[in-house]
Formats: sequence, C-alpha cells, structure tokens
Amino acid sequence: MNPLLMINAFTAHLGRISVIARHAFTQLVRMKVFYFLAFFAIILIGSNFFNLPQHEGPEAAGVNILRSIKSWSLGAMTLFSVVLSIVATALLLPKDVEDRTLYTILAKPVPRIDYLAGKLLGVLLLIFVSLLVMDLLMTGILQVRTNMVLSKQMAMAEARGWSVSDIAGLKADILAQGPTFSLQGAVLAVFLRATVIASMSLLISTFSSSTLFTTIVSFLIYFCGHFQADARAIYLSSEVGTDVGWVSQAIALLVSLILPDFQLFNVIDSVIEGQLMPLVIFGKLILVGLFYFSFYLIASWFVFAKKEF
Amino acid sequence: MTQGKRYVILGLVVLVMGAARLPLEQGLSVELSEKGLVPPKLKIDTGDKLGQTFSAVSLGGLRTLVATFFNIRAFSYFTEQKWSEVAETYNIIVDLAPHTRYYWDSGSWHQSYNAASYYLYQSNLPAMRRKLAWKESILTGRNFLERGIRNNPNDPILRQSLGYLLADPNKILAFGDTGKAFEESYEAYWSAVQTGKARGFAKRAALYSLARVPGREEEALELALEIRSEMPVLPPPTVLGLLYSLRYFADPNQSVLELVDDVFPTREIGYEVLGNVWLRSRDRFPVHGSAKALVLLENHFDIPEAQSILRRELALPMDPNDYF
Amino acid sequence: MTDSSPAVEIRHLVKDFKTSFKRQPLRAVDDVSIRIMPGEVYGLIGPNGSGKSTTMKALLGLVAPTSGECAIFGKDSLKVDSRDEVGFLPENPYFYKHLSGEETLNFYGKLCGIRGTKLRDRVNELLKLVDLEDASHRRIGGYSKGMLQRIGLAQALIQEPRLVILDEPTAGVDPVGSREIRDLIFKLKEQGITVFLCSHLLEQVQEVCDTVGIIFRGRMIKEGNLDDLIAIEDQTELVVKDASPELVAEIAALIGRDGAAELVRTGKPRTTLERLFLRETRDQKNSESNILK
Repeated sequence: MNPLLMINAFTAHLGRISVIARHAFTQLVRMKVFYFLAFFAIILIGSNFFNLPQHEGPEAAGVNILRSIKSWSLGAMTLFSVVLSIVATALLLPKDVEDRTLYTILAKPVPRIDYLAGKLLGVLLLIFVSLLVMDLLMTGILQVRTNMVLSKQMAMAEARGWSVSDIAGLKADILAQGPTFSLQGAVLAVFLRATVIASMSLLISTFSSSTLFTTIVSFLIYFCGHFQADARAIYLSSEVGTDVGWVSQAIALLVSLILPDFQLFNVIDSVIEGQLMPLVIFGKLILVGLFYFSFYLIASWFVFAKKEF
Repeated sequence: MTQGKRYVILGLVVLVMGAARLPLEQGLSVELSEKGLVPPKLKIDTGDKLGQTFSAVSLGGLRTLVATFFNIRAFSYFTEQKWSEVAETYNIIVDLAPHTRYYWDSGSWHQSYNAASYYLYQSNLPAMRRKLAWKESILTGRNFLERGIRNNPNDPILRQSLGYLLADPNKILAFGDTGKAFEESYEAYWSAVQTGKARGFAKRAALYSLARVPGREEEALELALEIRSEMPVLPPPTVLGLLYSLRYFADPNQSVLELVDDVFPTREIGYEVLGNVWLRSRDRFPVHGSAKALVLLENHFDIPEAQSILRRELALPMDPNDYF
Repeated sequence: MTDSSPAVEIRHLVKDFKTSFKRQPLRAVDDVSIRIMPGEVYGLIGPNGSGKSTTMKALLGLVAPTSGECAIFGKDSLKVDSRDEVGFLPENPYFYKHLSGEETLNFYGKLCGIRGTKLRDRVNELLKLVDLEDASHRRIGGYSKGMLQRIGLAQALIQEPRLVILDEPTAGVDPVGSREIRDLIFKLKEQGITVFLCSHLLEQVQEVCDTVGIIFRGRMIKEGNLDDLIAIEDQTELVVKDASPELVAEIAALIGRDGAAELVRTGKPRTTLERLFLRETRDQKNSESNILK
C-alpha cells in the first residue's frame, strides 16, 4: 500500500482522536473535577504548618515529616486517580448514548476505534494534568521542608563537631528523603496504574450500558487485582504439589488469568521509604502499562464495533 | 457474528492473554521483591488487626500512609503510657513499612527506655511485677531492634542503637551476663562500621564496648591504637583512658608515670581523665593501673590525702534490687 | 453530467430485535426496499413504531441488518467511508450543552477532517444559512427547540455532504421554526443535495417532498411520486381571482353543457390555519418593531 496514503490515513486518525480526546477532557473538567485539586493543595500547604504528634529524637528531627508529606501526597494522588479513572471512564459512553450525541458522531466518517481511543485518552489526559499539578505542589512543599530540615540538622551536626564525612553522610540521608527522581517515578507509577484501571473500565463500559454497574465492577476488579499476585502464587505453588484443593486451584488460575496484577505498582511504598528505583524497573512498568492499555482498548473496540444503538 | 458470540470470543482472548502474560508478570514480580522494591506480603493477622477499611487502603494503596496513621495512634498510646498497645501498634507499623528505620528505632526506644522507666518510677504494681515488667520491656525493645536490623541489613543506625542499648549502664543488668552484653554491643557497633555508612563515633563506641569485655583486652588495645592513629588531633578522653588501662594491662611491669606521660599530653589531663574513669564506676570501664597512677599523680601535684579521689565514695553499679 | 446511480439504495432490508429469550424476535423492518436518486427529497412517513428510525439507522451503520443491504452512493453502510457524504440529524438531538453553537460546529468539522480557515469559513457560512449568527456564541444549553434543530441541521451539513438524513426534523418545533426548517430544506434541494427525511407530521411532509413512502409495521405499503399519489385523479381544480358572480355562473353553465364533467363545488378556497398563524404573528412582530422605531 502506498506509504503516503498510510501516513495520511494515520494522521487523519490522530486528528480525530485528538479532537475527541480534547473534547472529553473539557467535558470532564466542566464537571468541576478540579476542585479536588484545590482541596489537595490546601491540605498539603496546611500540613507544612501543622506538626504531626510524634516523637522525634534530635537526629531524626523533621525527617519523619518529609515521609509524611510524601505519604499523604501520594495517597491522595492514588485515591484521586483511581476514582477518576473508574468513574470518568464509566460515564463517558453511557452519557453519549443517552444524549444521543453518539449518533451524530458515528454518523460522521469516524471509525469506532477512534471514538474509543479519543475518549480514553481524554480521561488519561485529565488524570495526567491533575497528577502533574499535584506532583509540582508536592515537590515544591517537600523541597522547602527538606531545606528546613537540612539546615537545622547541619547546624546541629556542626555544633556537635561531627567530621566532614559524617556531615556529608547525614546530608545525603536527608536529601534521599526529599524530592528525588525516584519520587517522580513513583508518581509515574500512580499514573500507569490509573491507565490500566481506566482502560479496563472502558472495556467494561462497552458491554454494560449502566454507569453504576461499570463503576462497581471496575472497583471490584481493582480491589481483587491486588490479590492476583497471591492467586498466581497459589496456582504456581500448587503445580509443585503443595496441599491445595483443586477447587482453590481452579479459582486461583481463573483469577490469575483474568485480573491484572496491581501489586506490581506497590513500588510506590518502597520509594516513600527511601529506596531508589532503577530506570530499568520504570521501563518495565511503562511496558506493563502500555500492554494493558492496548489490550483493553482493542478488546473494547472488538465489543463496541458491532454494538447497535 | 452475534454479540453473544463476540462476548465468548472476548472471554477466550482474555484468558489466553492472561496465560501469556502470567510468566512475564511473575518474573517482574519476583525481580521487584528480590530487589526489595516491593514490600513483602502482609502477614495475615496484621490484616485482621488493621480492620477491613485500612486493609483495603494498604492493599490498594499506600501502606506507608496507613503506617503514618498508626504512628499517630502509637504516639497517643505513648502519652497515655499504654505500653502493650504501643508495642502492638508498632508491630503493625513495621509490618506495613519495614524499611523505615525511624519506626524500628522509635518503637524500640518506647519499650527499652520509656516503658522501662515507667515501671521503674511510676507504676503502682507490686515490686516483683514491676521488676519483671522492667526487664521485659528492655528485652522487647532489644528484640524489636534486632528484627529491624534483620529487615534492614544495610542500615547502620539501627545497629548503633542496639550497641548503645546493650552497653547502657542503666539497662545492662536486664541482659543477664554483663560481659556477654558488652560483647554483643561491640558486635553491633562493629557491624555498623562494616556497613560502611556508620557515623565516625561508631568505631569508638565499638572500642568502648570491647574494652569492657573481660578476656579481649588485647583486641581492644589493638583497636584503641588503630583509632588513636586515625586521630591526629587529641582523641576523646575516654579513648585516652582506655589506652592507658589496656596498655597497663598488657604490661603491668612498666613504669606508671612513664606510661602516663606517653599516653596523656599533660599530667593534669591524665589526672583528670583517670580520676573521672575511676569515679564513674557504674560505667564499668577498665581501671587497670588507675589506682597506682592516681596515687603517684596526687603526689606529683601535692594534693593532700584528705582530698584524694580514692577516698571518695564510688557509686555502686546499679542493681535492680535497689529500685524494686 | 447526470449521476444515474442512486444516492440511497436499500435492498430487502430486514431487521429483527430480540426482546427476551422466550419470545419471538420483534421484526422492526420487514423487507423494505427504497431507492432515492440524487437531488430528490424523499419522505418516509408512518406512525410511531413503524420502523422509520430503524431503517435510517441501518442506512447509517448504527444498526446492522439481519438481512438485506444498504448503500449510500454505492458504498456499503457498514463501512466507515460510506459516511463521507452523509449528514445526519437524529430525533431530539442533544449536543454537548457546555459548548456554544460555533464550538459545536467546530467540533464536528474537525471530526470530518476540516481545519483552519476552511473550517472557519464553512462554520460561518452554515451559521448564516440556518440563521443562528446571533446565537452562535451562546451555550447550546440555552437554545430553544427550534434553534437546536437548526444547529443540528448545520452540523449535518458541515462536511458538505451530498445526502442529508433527517429524523423527525420538525417534531416539537413551533410553526415559525417549522417553516424555517422547511425553507432550509428547499434551499438544500436547490443546491442539489439529496434529502431523506422521515416524519409523522404528514402536512409538513406534503409541502416538501418529491417522493413519499408509507411504512406501517415495518412494511412499505405504498411508495411513489407525491403529486401522483395525492392527486385526486378524476378532479380538476381551477382557482380564479376577482371573479364576479356572473362569471362563476357562466363557468358553471359551461360545465353543465359538457356531458362528462360535473361541477363538484364552488366557493372560497380555504387557507390553512398554519398560514393564518404565520401571517398574524409576522404582522404582529412587524407592527411591534414599528412602534419601537
């Protein structure tokens, strides 16, 4: 086939997808989703002035606050992205069908996959922008706080006459708790997880016409997906001959095959605890995210392509 | 193709895809847990304790966040002096966030120091039970630290904390054999040094503990000399004092005053240091040859016998029976 | 150059819907065949539930036929490219409420691949055509029913299609708006655009359509040229202005002398209530604006 034609066709697809995506984005924004961000910002900035009741020895002074800031922020990001990716995706298709705007769109020369991809990308764009804003806020506050802790600890160390290498070690320790590239990677992991969830939610919404049903099923799958790793372990260990009944084995197998493994994204916890994340791991997580995105999108198209309205 | 048939095909494809990705995900999962990038599985009973809602969050979201909440709760138990609740809460916390040194450190501190002190001074329980509780708190704190070290083998601070606890004169009697306690303290400090990330004083602390282990004076002297050579400027008084005692122990026949002049920069400093070590008998530092040196130095400085250090009453090593 | 291939070709279309597992499937469309030539205005009329909407949806690929074929300008309806030349206005459409009229048209234009100045010009042209220039910056949420239908029609025309499909274009619209829509349809016809509409407001169809098909319970029961269908064969109409009574008597006598013909009735022809309404409301509007001036 003529490569120029292919490029033209591809550009046309991208054009349509981007129109629908931008439109889905503005539609969701008008639903006042961003007020949550304001709420988040207030809590985060407020936490700066508010000291959690806890014991702090002189050497740990303030470091725990850094960890708290990271926990709170990433927790809020996780909650927000999970809820949004399920609910926003769940309501997009039924809303269009109910409003009959779907007819006007499909009556134009718009391939159904463009429509689906556009809607999904619109949701992901919304989540991406929100996470970006929250990430900037978190990093900013964290940086300020880290500097405060650092100067306090440096002063203390110098007052106690610590050696140069000891002071450098202390500084490295504290900076590792502050904003690092691994932390940005953790935010990326939150986004990747949201991508998997949104794609899955899209698939479910193609064969259910009710927003509520889609939402509930998606939440259940999300929740159960965390046990997928355990189910897998049960199934694999049962091959070695440990004492597992065949019913449990069958269920474990089914769960392992159907559900995605959300535990892979628990790297976020380790990053908060101060571990460093090698780039290779991020690369692999990105691949996982891409895999689920493409698979669920194509599966959605498969169901949606011949759906009648 | 009817919609029904489509659903069946979809179901089959999902299963096939699941089978295809199973080994890959398993591989990645194993890799992540080997590298310690994914926290270990929660033990089942922790899940019970957490309660359903928190479980959901910690499984679906952030264990470290739940740990933060529990930390606040532990702190309030601490202010209420409910020590068993403190211990229990910390067990949950470290299950959720096993790589956070802070939790191990403060959890053990609450037990070994705060709880122990409570039973020493404040509790209304009868003496026998208080003594037992005191001892148990200290041992709980120690176990907690050791668990923390097992979970974080590369962390120097927890090891240093353990070393400190084991050599603490106020706690040492809870551990039974004091010599053994000092030996274990030395090992803890030394392992901290070997992580390569320990603070400078860890090595000196290792020395202090080693010097108090009966039978290992030669090793201690070697270590003391090594430390001395690493410090071109004047080392801390404790090091000097130990150098004196250990060198005297190695060769009791040498001239005391010559040794004093060799070790200490001036005789005044020598008198002060040896005097302090002598008086702080609770610390159990070796005092080989100190009495002799003190007598000679007092002669040298013309200090009247009435004011001699040797006449002062020594604080006895703490005996738990004194308090209970 | 005359285009002799049909704009719309529906051949033996059958569509069954499953209602529940136990009962027989509902046959919404039963062996319907329609052929519309380019430039025609075709009206599909029938009562509610007769299968009109289903037929249109099959033509647009929103619904797959159980058997039979649908094609637009020769392209199979089940393929996406058949919709290059079609604009569709669904029944009671909602458009995204948060967009303005202009933004809505921009959206649909971009979906069809129109961009930049070409899009801007096209949008302005259409807004002028449907007489919504003043309201183009208002949100769709604030539009009246008639305005919604007109913006819907503009959206259907955005990519300059050769065929326009209208599902109940005047349902729920007041007589003034209804008139405007019908005038628009005439304009489309002048431009050579094929129009396929369905309605159950028979009077309005009568004014606009060239060809009519009557569908009832999924079956096409009558089809043909409108004038042919509704002309009363054996009667002739003569409408005379300023006729004196003597002239009328003379004509009556003339007819009486002819053996075959028979005078059926004389009198004043009636206007329609709709025309009266429009005349009165227009006059009222004019006199009010005169007072304001």
